[in-house]
Order: sequence, then C-alpha cells, then structure tokens
Amino acid sequence: MSRVVPSSTQKSAAEKMITAVGRMKGCDAQLVERSSGTKSRWTVSIVCDPENWRGLAEKLLTTHEVDYCSLITGIHWPDGPEEKKWEVVYHFLRTGIKNPPDKDGIQQPIITDPTTVKGKLVPLEIEVSIAIPDTRSPMVASVQDLWIGADWNEKETWDLVGIDFEGHKGMRRVLQPHETPTGYHPLQKHHNIRYHGFEEMYDDAQGFSRKPDDVGKVK
Amino acid sequence: MAEMWISMGPQHPMTHGLWTLKIKVDGETVVDTVPDLGYIHRGVEKICESRDFTQITTYCDRLCYASANTWSHSYIYAAEDLLGVEVPERAEYIRLIAIELQRIASHLMWLGAYGPDTGNLSVLVWCLREREMMMDLLQEMGGSRMHYNFPRIGGVKRDLPHGFAQRARSKLELFLQRIQEYEALYDESTVFLVRTQGVGYAKAEEMVNHGVSGPNLRAAGVNYDVRWAHPYSVYSELDWEPPVERSSIKGADCYDRYRVRVEEMRISALLTLQALDKMPGGSDTYHEPGDPKLLAKAPSRAPEGTSGYHHFEDSRGESMFYIAGGGEARGKNPYRVSIRSPMFITIPYASKCMIGYKVADIPAIMGSFDPCIGETDR
Amino acid sequence: MASSDWLDVNGWLQSIVGWSMDQTHDLLPNEEYGLGPIESINPQSGFSSIQPALEAFFHASIMCTVVFTTLMLTMLAIPYIERKFIGRLMDRLGATTTLRSLWVGESGATAGEWWDQLPFGIGTPIGWTINTLNSIWGNDHELETVSRVNNRSYHGYWFLLPGFFQAFADFFKFATKEHMVPKDADKVVFEVAPVIIVSTTVMVFAFVPFGPHIYAANPDLSLLFMMAIFGVAPLGVFFAGWASNNKYTLIGGMRSAAQLTAYEIPLLITVLGVAVLSGSLNIIEIVDFQMGEEEGNVWNFFLMPLGAALFLITMIAEVERIPFDMPEAEAELVEGWWTEYGGIRWGLMFSAEYMRSYAACILFALFFLGGWEAPFQHTLSDLPVLGGVFTTIFALIPGLVWVLLKAWILFGVFVWIRASLHRVRTDQILEFGWRYLLPLSLLNLVIATYMRLELYGGGNWNLWVPAVVTTVSLIVFLIYIFDEDEEAARLKSRPYSTQAVVKASPGSHRD
Repeated sequence: MSRVVPSSTQKSAAEKMITAVGRMKGCDAQLVERSSGTKSRWTVSIVCDPENWRGLAEKLLTTHEVDYCSLITGIHWPDGPEEKKWEVVYHFLRTGIKNPPDKDGIQQPIITDPTTVKGKLVPLEIEVSIAIPDTRSPMVASVQDLWIGADWNEKETWDLVGIDFEGHKGMRRVLQPHETPTGYHPLQKHHNIRYHGFEEMYDDAQGFSRKPDDVGKVK
Repeated sequence: MAEMWISMGPQHPMTHGLWTLKIKVDGETVVDTVPDLGYIHRGVEKICESRDFTQITTYCDRLCYASANTWSHSYIYAAEDLLGVEVPERAEYIRLIAIELQRIASHLMWLGAYGPDTGNLSVLVWCLREREMMMDLLQEMGGSRMHYNFPRIGGVKRDLPHGFAQRARSKLELFLQRIQEYEALYDESTVFLVRTQGVGYAKAEEMVNHGVSGPNLRAAGVNYDVRWAHPYSVYSELDWEPPVERSSIKGADCYDRYRVRVEEMRISALLTLQALDKMPGGSDTYHEPGDPKLLAKAPSRAPEGTSGYHHFEDSRGESMFYIAGGGEARGKNPYRVSIRSPMFITIPYASKCMIGYKVADIPAIMGSFDPCIGETDR
Repeated sequence: MASSDWLDVNGWLQSIVGWSMDQTHDLLPNEEYGLGPIESINPQSGFSSIQPALEAFFHASIMCTVVFTTLMLTMLAIPYIERKFIGRLMDRLGATTTLRSLWVGESGATAGEWWDQLPFGIGTPIGWTINTLNSIWGNDHELETVSRVNNRSYHGYWFLLPGFFQAFADFFKFATKEHMVPKDADKVVFEVAPVIIVSTTVMVFAFVPFGPHIYAANPDLSLLFMMAIFGVAPLGVFFAGWASNNKYTLIGGMRSAAQLTAYEIPLLITVLGVAVLSGSLNIIEIVDFQMGEEEGNVWNFFLMPLGAALFLITMIAEVERIPFDMPEAEAELVEGWWTEYGGIRWGLMFSAEYMRSYAACILFALFFLGGWEAPFQHTLSDLPVLGGVFTTIFALIPGLVWVLLKAWILFGVFVWIRASLHRVRTDQILEFGWRYLLPLSLLNLVIATYMRLELYGGGNWNLWVPAVVTTVSLIVFLIYIFDEDEEAARLKSRPYSTQAVVKASPGSHRD
C-alpha cells in the first residue's frame, strides 16, 4: 500500500485552521467535505470581506504557512445578489515544503512520510471567496508580494474578467493581445461570443437535419 | 557589444510551442527576460460556459495536446466534485492506467524534444518511436491517438479492450529496457552533463512560492506530489513513491529536472503494471460500455451556488479546475469554468531562472521545465 | 616524386598539351614577315618563345578543371554517407537489423514487389534475392505489436543506390529558389560574403592532391598556402553574420568568428607537428615520406596519435559540425549566421560546409593515414609467395581509390560523432580550445620535434618507435575512459531517485 495523507489528519488540520481563522474579523471559515471519485476529502472554505482580505492573506502566509497559491478566479454575477455582483475565489494549498538541508555540501532530500505529517506540515486545500458589491470597477487587494505565484494569476483575472488588483505592479494583458482596447474583458457575462444566442435552424453543422420541435424544453 | 533586446518570437524551433520570449542580452549573457504568452489563446473558459458538462471533456483534451488524458481527467474529477458523483472502483483503475500511460507518453515527447534542444538529433527519433508504443495502447483504450475524450462523469467510456493487458505488459517490459538506452545516451555523454549541470538553479521554497509544482519541484529534493498529499483515485492502493532528485545546495538544475522525469516514466510504467494486476474484476474481463461497474449515473445539472474543484497531478505540475454551478438558469451548462495551468505559472518563473546565464543555455533551461503552450494559453 | 601509379593524369595532360602545342608550332609558317624597316617576325620562333608559358597556362587551367570535377563527383558520396549513416544510427537497431532493413518488410511483406514492374523481367533475380534473404533472415514478427517498433521496412528503389540523386535534386532546388536581400542589409558585404566563403573553400582543393598525379598546383610550401587559405573562410562567415542586419545572425557570426579563431591555432600547430615529423611543408612529400621504402615507411597516425586526435577535433570545430555547431545551432539561433540567405547563395554555403568537411577528411587521410598507400603495402608486397599477387593488385588500383576510401571512412566517423553527441555551449567550446587544445598541440609539437631530431636517423623509422608510441597512447586512452572515481560514482548514482519497493510483475526496473 502506498502512503497517502489519511483523511482524519486532513480533517483535524482543517478544523484547527478553521477555528483560528474564524476568530479573525470579517472572515467566516467552514469545513467542507468534498468528494474525489471514490473517496472524500476535507477542505477549508473561507468567506472574507474585501477590506479584510489583505490581513487574512498575511495571516495565512505567516501563521498558517499556506505557501502555494494555486488559482485566482474572477466571476461576474450580474444576476446575483447586490453584495455579490463580482466574486474573486482564491485557491491555496498548504504544501508543507521546506528547503532541504545540506550536510557537508551535499543536499539531504526531505522525504515526507504522509502518514506521519502533523501540525503545520499537513497538506491542506484552502478556498477563499471574496464577494464584491455592485460596481463598475471592481477591485481587491493584491497579494502579489506575498505569493509570487499569484502574480500572473491576477494579471489573467484582470485581463479576462476585469477585476482590478490594488497594489499590483506591472498589470498588463497576458492572454489577449497587448493592444486589446480598454474595458474589453470577455469573461464578463454581457460579452457574447459571436453568434451567442443565435438561433440555429439546423441541428448539425452541415444542415441536414432540422432541429426537433421540442428543442429548448427541459427534459 | 551593447545590450540589445532579442525576441525569440512566436515561431521559433526552441520554444516548444508558440510564445514569445524577449531577452535582453549583453554579449552572450542574458540580463533580463520578458515572456509573452497568449498567442494561441482560444478562449476555452468562455466556450465552456455554453457547453454541457459532458461536452466540456473534449475541450479539456485539447488544452495540452501532448498530455490529453491528464487534462480531461482533471476536469472530470472537478465535475464529479460539483455534481456529487461516486465513481466505481474499476473505473478508477482504468482511469489510472489511462493517466499513467499518458504521463509516459508526455514525458517521452519531452525527452525527445530535449535532445535537439541540446544538439543531439538521434534521441528525438528514438523517443518518438517508443511513444508510438504508448500511442498504440492509448488508441486501443480511447479510440484515437491524441484526443481521446476518454473519461465520463461517473466513470469511463468503455472497458479495456480484449487482450489489452497482455499487450500493455509486453510493451511496458520493452519500454523499461529501452529507458536504459536513453539514459546511456544522455547520462554518459559528458557534453550533455556539461550543458545541463550547474545551469538554471531553482530552490524548493522559492519554487513553491512561485507556484511551481510537479516534477520541477521534485527535482529540488522534496517529494511533494498531489497524488499523496491530497489523495484521489486509487493511488493509495498501489505501491509507489514519487521520484525525488537530490539536487545541489544551490537548487535544482536542468540535469535534476531531466532525471526526475526519466524516473517518473519508470514509476508510471510500474504503476500501470500494478493496476493491471490489481484491477477489481481482473484485467481480462470485459464489460459493455455503460455497465454500472464502469459508469455511475450522474446528474447533468448543478444546483445554484454549488462549486466544485479538484487538484490533480498533471504531467507538468499541479493542475486544477474550478467549476461554479449555475442552477436552473444555466441549464446543463456551468456558470464559470476556471482552469489552472501549471505551465502558465512556471514559464514566467523559468524565464526568471534564465537571468545570468548565456543565450546558449536558454533552450536547455526552458526545455528542462517542459513547457506546453496549449495549456498555458487555454 | 617518389610514389607513382598508372593514373598519371598530370603526365598525360602534360604530354597532350605538349603534343598539341608542337602541332601548332609546326603548322605555323617559318618565314620572315617584314613589318617595316626594322621589325620582322618569324611566327614559328615567336611561338617557340611563348610556347612554354602557353603550355603551362593550358596545363594549369585544364588540370584545375579536372581536379574540380574530381572533387565534385567524389563529394557526392559525402551527403550520401551522412544521410544513410545518420538514418541507421537514429534507428539504433544494431548492425544486424540495419543490414536486414535493406530487404525486409513489415511482417514479412516486402516493398510492394516493385521488381515485377521492371520491363523484360529483369527484376526477377532481384525478387529471388530479396525473398531468399527474407526467408532466411527476415523480420521477427511473432509479436506484431512489438515488431512495429523493431521493424524497418525499406521501400526504396535500392537497386539504384537509393538516395544517390538526392544531392542533385537538393542542389537544383536551391538553384531555382528566390534570392532575397533584407531591406536594411549591407548589400555589398551581403553579396560578397558567400563569394569569399565558397571561393576560398574551393581554392583549398587546388593544393590537395587526390592521387600522386592528380593535383592542381604543387608549390614547395603547399601546406602553408593551403592552411592560410583555409583560414580565410571565417572572415566570410563574419561578413555574412554582420551584413544581414539581424540580431540572430550577428550573434551567430560572432560565435563563429570566436570559435574558428580559437581552433585555427591548435590546428596550425598540429599541422606544423606533422610537417616536422615528415620533414617537409609540401603535402606530396609528406605522403611520400609516409609510404616511401627508403624513407619513413610509417604512417604518421602511429607516430603521432595525439596529433591525429587533435587534428580531428580541431577540424570538426573548424567545419562547424556537431558537437561544435553553436554558430548555426538551430535550437536557439534558427540557422545562425546564414539565416537570411536563400536560394543558391545558401546552397553554395551549405555545400561549402560539406566541402570543408571533405577537405578535412582528405587532409587527415593524407597527413596521417598515408595518403594513397594501401595498408601494409610494402609488407604485403614483400611476402614470399603472395607478394607477387599483392604487387599486381596494388599496381592496378590507382592511388586515388585509397585516398577516397580513407576519406570516406573518416567522414563516417564525423557523422557518427555528429549523431551521438550534444552541442557544446560557445563559452565551453572556447574554453576547451584555448585551455586544453592549445597546450596539447604545443606538447604535440614538442614531442614531434624530439622524435624527428633524436629518434630519426635518416632512412626508415625504427619499428619500435611507432610501436611504443601507439601502445602508450592506447593505454592512456583506455585509462582515461575507464577510470572510475568511486566517490564520484557513488554521489552520481543519486540513491533517492526511485523508491518503489515492490516489483509489480516480472520485468526489469532499476534498483
């Protein structure tokens, strides 16, 4: 049998982080059980206010040793509630990685035994969700200096979704061409891809079979 | 000679894909780099918002075309998390075989491309020929050589074909012997060692803070692997360890990253052989497509306010899909699909790694990080 | 000169030209023509006074044409060797399968039975041969999944020395392509650069004797002249890199200039060592010294293996082949200093690169491998019974054949090196040249001088000299490649590389 991090270790580490984070102002942390095919996993899900985000981020990095920023997602909810027209979802991982020590000039690799990890070295999945109320220029504090992995993620979020990051140095277009006009952020919901919503008469690309009459009805 | 900016532009034999690397050189030394991605940005995230959950799988194959299975499975696990589906165990084993065979094929492609980067043209042909074996196996399983559309939400699309286990075993035996030939050509060549050792140092904690994971990270002396840290699938049932390289005290150099991937190919081959042995129901039984042992029934709509995500060990690092469900208004489509590509984060880091080295080191460093631009630009 | 064979092109040409000039002389009238009070011309005697110069001029120009034709025709073997050998090496199937690949097909089927399409049934014996070979020694197709990677079915028209005309086809393609000059390029220099490169390369062959009587020019210091001209090509390379107005070509040209300069010096010192050993700066005399019965009679390779190795390495660097092809490394510089050239200019420079490789191979054969002497020629000819047979055989085979065989085999070694090694980085190339090759070539020169002055007493070399030298070099070489430092090997084995404990199924994996 290979050694993997046991589910119970994950759960207890998640609970510890939740109690610590829950005490912070403006944050609400929850333990969420998510599924993973045949197994389940325990993750931490935090909801935070935009004003307290920077404080929470620093706390996560320094106290809880969350060292890996995985993904930053920006979502536009034009039909959502007033206080959540925009949402930024951060995904972090706590990896428990330290630089391997050297002995006599030769490095000693760190071989972590997943069954015996404890404390701040337990790998954990953390999700932070920040809701931004209705505004034409949504903005959130940048964590570019805390996790350098967040740098290009923030650029991409601004490029595609339009959510700006305060304090981000060197913001530019990364996936779209450099000359894309200002204000052009395709993942906002009012941006339609060409022919979006176009009612096609035919079901297939070559136009052999007409669409059946009950198209569009919920089955 | 004064400093000048050179653009290793979108079309360039070295860059392993279409992206621009602007380098500022002072004579032969690289002083600054600016990577420029997005040349093949296809807008996959936006497209996925108007597709069914089952239709999105095909797009995910095409994200990284060299490693298609890992990407479609990465999406499927996130979708199963969103829709709350439990997968039968036999399907998990079949998925594991598909993923690990794909990992071998992806690493072989990388190894074959790394040779010409450093000047050795023969090994390209050798690695592609071995990759043909893996392509044959993947074609038998998935139906095509490159974009298989293999997993379904709740399982896999069909069982292992008749005789697959015997063919896979014989091919993997041959492959494990052939790996030694590549090692001979690379490791015993002083020129290769001189080109790749001491070049492109990267330390573990710095890499983690930059968001680099996977084989690039394991080359620095830490054995972090998403497959045991955030366990999924049936990796816990098999006996394996992620390969780790003892790097130098200055960090992992190109040679370490190369060695990690060669060992990973071995581990993947062993994992596949073990999975074939341990499959519930045996690897020679055949179930019809749609059999409950292969495919569980899955809902096709996600309620409002739910979301699903899953971290996955892709050939190049840790990949992730985050899917936000939209409820009734969206029908069978997700509200937002967000894709985390390891290479999108690693390429800027690799560009930083190049500063201070010579222009001639750029292919060696960039190749050792194994870029794939399909997943970078989405 | 001492050595000679029946292919006396020089002598034939001399007699033909002389005969034609004499005929012309006799045809001219032998009378005095008055042109005025003082001057009178006798055409015949006038012609006699210019006849030697005219003969020499005709002889030289026709000889140059003959040598150039010999060069170009024999050079066709070079891309052929390169293509075929690299193809076989890339298949890495081993000697047996490589040979078998010439007739075998997928799972026993062969090449579409093309021989039946030949008219008048001339293809039938070909079919018999192929089928017989296939049945005795055919493809192993028991496991057809695995044989797909072992299989190497050759579907070419191999009865026509397949791929032989590829070189022609390539050259015609280049000749018909468009010629583009970049807009901001320095036009004069841009056009001059290929001229310099190609012309100096061809000029080198003026001094290279293909056989004892096939050479265009033979001054007393031909070696010196030739190496001097050989070293002018880097100037053309640098011109090409600069004039193209392209940052890539500039870097490529700089690298090339640095590399070629760095390797000229060890090359020249090594060649000087050869000259010292053979006692002359004339190439033909160097070869005669190696094969002469009264003088020398030992190939320089066995007297100076270090020098031979140095010559090989510096020549590979001079002709910019892998492992030293940084200036045109397509991984970074997309063809380097010749990126902007297209059409016939690129074709000429590409063929100039092969001409330089060919010159390097022929020079190695002439300097170190005895030129146009057959291996053990004198020994075999002096055998009691078979000696007569061998003497006849050696008399029939012209020296040109031996030179070409040695050169082509050596080119095979060049290709072998190219297929297996990686590209060395520019600063490592320069470091290698200046810090390792230069002192070694000086050492070589010292050894050669010592050997010539102290150990050579006129006449033949004592046989123990080359024996000792070769044995010592062989021992040093073997020690160098097999010596394993225990500590370094242990560190290099990296015990943390793999940790899977259980073997899943019978099969090998590294422990």
